[in-house]
Amino acid sequence: MPEQSDGVIAGTGMGGGMDLAASEAETLEKVPGGPLGTGPAGKPRSLWSDAWHDLRRNPVFLVSSLVILFLVVISLWPSLITSGSPLQCELAKSQQGSQPGAPFGYDGQGCNVYTRTVYGARTSVTVGVCATLGVTILGSVLGGLAGYYGGVWDSVLSRITDVFFAIPVVLGGLVLLSVVTSNTVWPVIGFMVLLGWPQISRIARGSVITSKQNDYVQAARALGASDSRILLRHIAPNAVAPVIVVATIALGTYISLEATLSYLGVGLKPPSVSWGIDISAASPYIRNAPHALLWPSGALAITVLAFIMLGDAVRDALDPKLR
Amino acid sequence: MTSTTEPILEVSGLVKHYPLTRGILFKKQVGTVKAVDGVDFTLGRGETLGIVGESGCGKSTLAKMLCNLEKPTAGSIRFKGEDITRLSGKALKAVRRNIQMVFQDPYTSLNPRMTVGDIIGEPYEIHPEAAPKGDRRRRVQELLDVVGLNPEYVNRYPHQFSGGQRQRIGIARGLALRPEVIVADEPVSALDVSVQAQVINLLDRLQAEFELSYLVIAHDLSIVRHISDRVGVMYLGRIVEIGRDAEIYDHPTHPYTQALLSAVPVPDPDAREHRERIILTGDVPSPTNIPSGCRFRTRCWKAQERCAREVPALAVPSRFRSTAGPAAHDSACHFAEEKQVVPAEEHGNGPG
Amino acid sequence: MLLEVRDLHVEFRTRDGIARAVNGVSYGVDAGQTLAVLGESGSGKSVTAQAVMGILDMPPGRITGGEILFRGQDLLKLKEEERRKVRGAGMAMIFQDALSALNPVLSVGDQLGEMFVVHRGMSKKDARARAVELMERVRIPAAAERVRDYPHQFSGGMRQRIMIAMALALEPALVIADEPTTALDVTVQAQIMDLLAELQREYAMGLILITHDLGVVADVADQIAVMYAGRIVEQAPVHDLYKAPAHPYTRGLLDSIPRLDHKGQELYAIKGLPPNLMDIPPGCAFNPRCPMARDVCRTDEPPLYEVSEERASACHFWRECLHDLDH
Repeated sequence: MPEQSDGVIAGTGMGGGMDLAASEAETLEKVPGGPLGTGPAGKPRSLWSDAWHDLRRNPVFLVSSLVILFLVVISLWPSLITSGSPLQCELAKSQQGSQPGAPFGYDGQGCNVYTRTVYGARTSVTVGVCATLGVTILGSVLGGLAGYYGGVWDSVLSRITDVFFAIPVVLGGLVLLSVVTSNTVWPVIGFMVLLGWPQISRIARGSVITSKQNDYVQAARALGASDSRILLRHIAPNAVAPVIVVATIALGTYISLEATLSYLGVGLKPPSVSWGIDISAASPYIRNAPHALLWPSGALAITVLAFIMLGDAVRDALDPKLR
Repeated sequence: MTSTTEPILEVSGLVKHYPLTRGILFKKQVGTVKAVDGVDFTLGRGETLGIVGESGCGKSTLAKMLCNLEKPTAGSIRFKGEDITRLSGKALKAVRRNIQMVFQDPYTSLNPRMTVGDIIGEPYEIHPEAAPKGDRRRRVQELLDVVGLNPEYVNRYPHQFSGGQRQRIGIARGLALRPEVIVADEPVSALDVSVQAQVINLLDRLQAEFELSYLVIAHDLSIVRHISDRVGVMYLGRIVEIGRDAEIYDHPTHPYTQALLSAVPVPDPDAREHRERIILTGDVPSPTNIPSGCRFRTRCWKAQERCAREVPALAVPSRFRSTAGPAAHDSACHFAEEKQVVPAEEHGNGPG
Repeated sequence: MLLEVRDLHVEFRTRDGIARAVNGVSYGVDAGQTLAVLGESGSGKSVTAQAVMGILDMPPGRITGGEILFRGQDLLKLKEEERRKVRGAGMAMIFQDALSALNPVLSVGDQLGEMFVVHRGMSKKDARARAVELMERVRIPAAAERVRDYPHQFSGGMRQRIMIAMALALEPALVIADEPTTALDVTVQAQIMDLLAELQREYAMGLILITHDLGVVADVADQIAVMYAGRIVEQAPVHDLYKAPAHPYTRGLLDSIPRLDHKGQELYAIKGLPPNLMDIPPGCAFNPRCPMARDVCRTDEPPLYEVSEERASACHFWRECLHDLDH
């Protein structure tokens, strides 16, 4: 099929854009046999550097990554912006409003809401980052291998992911985490990895199957390349983009899941500090001390939103259709 | 009919069947796609064999089997006498060096995440014995020069090039290991008309320079004729007619070849009135359900009862066997007869 | 003239700049006539057709000048509502890829019938009957049974027939076929081109055939317009153009067709590549690739010179080109 680029189909929204894509690429042609035509100067641009170039100009990316950077910094060094301890509570100050030293006021137990909100970020970021790392590594290895090799293992894995998808997350959390006695973030993270990997594995599998069909994989195979070379050199770099996008968005949802589980009393439990615990503790006093509920909920919402927006921005930048 | 030079590739009884399965975990075979169903030919050293046919005739599957990208269901592919379908491991890897492929679509055949230098240099990483490490960059630049690209482009990425340039990069990668056989699957069909001629000339020049043997698969009959010494016509998984280019184009004896040739639009408006065109009815049958006997009979205007019963062999038809004329070439038809379908004024030029 | 395009300009705004896709194109087609628009990708041949049909994506596209006269009425001045009426009944388009141009979730009968329901106010039952009739007209075997089938159940050639049936449903005066056979095999291509030519005669419609295939053009066209970098570089009756092209680009295209008497020799190849539409060379857009280019070609854009009553060429040296047959 020669000249696909001119065969524009109405209604598909491609319009004349395809014509342009073809001619854009032709800027660099030189006259064969003759001396070089002048190509645009500048260094070679990989697809990654192109994506980065786009991202730097995207306000959504800038805002969300600033928010995330701030969260990471305060979860590493909370004492940078607060001097108190989240566990130092005076019942006498219960439900008091905003005042010097406690801009967000005090909650029902008389704890400083500001300090607790700041310290809560650490839990959320730890859970979000660790759960996402675990899910991504497990999911992309299993999904990628299943997609690449296909066959029986692929069928088995697909059925297993179906089973996992059928488990309601919150119910599963209530059942599984209620038997755990350890009061650290690790059981929560473990639970999220257990239930989260099928999502990534499905994305990774599909994306590997798509890249596997490209002729450059065939070309590498015709050269005699080993499976590991094909997977690492040719398939992984081309299949990783959708995984990154989904993982970024998932990070936000893991943070909110941790809050949900803690709210329900099966995630972290006091004396741990978590936005979910604070939201749960503040909800009985919503009429008298709405601020105690507002601040941790607001922090949670902004954090989740920031990650989802970051994922969106990354997807736009990596979308191959725009290249 | 065999090639005139010493054979470098001999294909015989090549078959590729794909099972059609149903079911998720426990698969049940419900049919067979007979993509390639018994193909024989030889490719001579330094020769160009063109394979033409319409979509679904199995020509791309054939190309993949020659490059060991698909394992044949049956049959043999002999490279310099050695059956490469039985090889594995080191021996297979060594043979791969000698048979390389040029792909149709220059947009999907280059890894967008790798620089041009990495793409053309990858063959040396896979076969380290082909070039010492310190020499590789120089060789890559040399290859870029050979295919008519600026050697300074090594650090660029494929998306910075046009379709024609990408195809040159693909050709350079194919040449890196100094193969003896190049299998080109529709090497120019994705390119613009004015760029096609450039790439064809390049392939022609490289053949002389590197003493290559080509197997070129294409649907454009005029391009195949231009570059091929011999031409094979495929229909539904089999070669139905094969011979020297003039034998096939000027003296076709198989009705499918005749229909195919007559359907090609001729870039000569004066020819349109007095040109006889054979318009075939219907579509190509599904490769899961190949007609009995002659596979072309369902669309053939000459089909008789015998065609449904007997599979015609690919051999010189008996009526031409005694003559030495150009019609005496392999044709798988019970009722083979000569018919001129290419415009008459060009006939004088064909070597009779 | 049934359709007349006058000095049409179209540009596209992209993030890298403005691409001038169509730069002053004029052509016309009469009822019963076939105009072939020949060009490579990026020549603007499809964009012009989309502008005529009113299906250009705007934005990023923008018509910056010119007129599109259909039966003397400037389509660009019409309101969208009126435009839609012209598009349904007056002109129709056939696309290259029938599979993506047909709706996969509707049966072909529903899609064909919808035209009659919407534009002719027919009942569903009558529309279905007309759909079967149309499918018979484009020679789809067993039309009455297949009318309930979905597009993916048809072969490529049959789908293209359905596209043609849809285009002809309302008996338009003008049909634009954009690479109608590029995706098809040669033997099927011959069937489709035959059908198209026959239906054109039967309905006496004007046909604009957009293609890159010099063979197809020679088979069916009356007039040819050759486009390059958004301009028409040569316009001529088909016989004249193939006998003696008056533009070096056309000559290059004709010379690069493999011919028998050149077998074994190097093919003639036009050097270089079509220009980047964001950076069209000054003067004649073809000058960097032209074997005849001189200084004036790099500075002055050639107008469309009148070669004879029926032909025109946008080359400063069209006379040389025309007479210098064996360069």
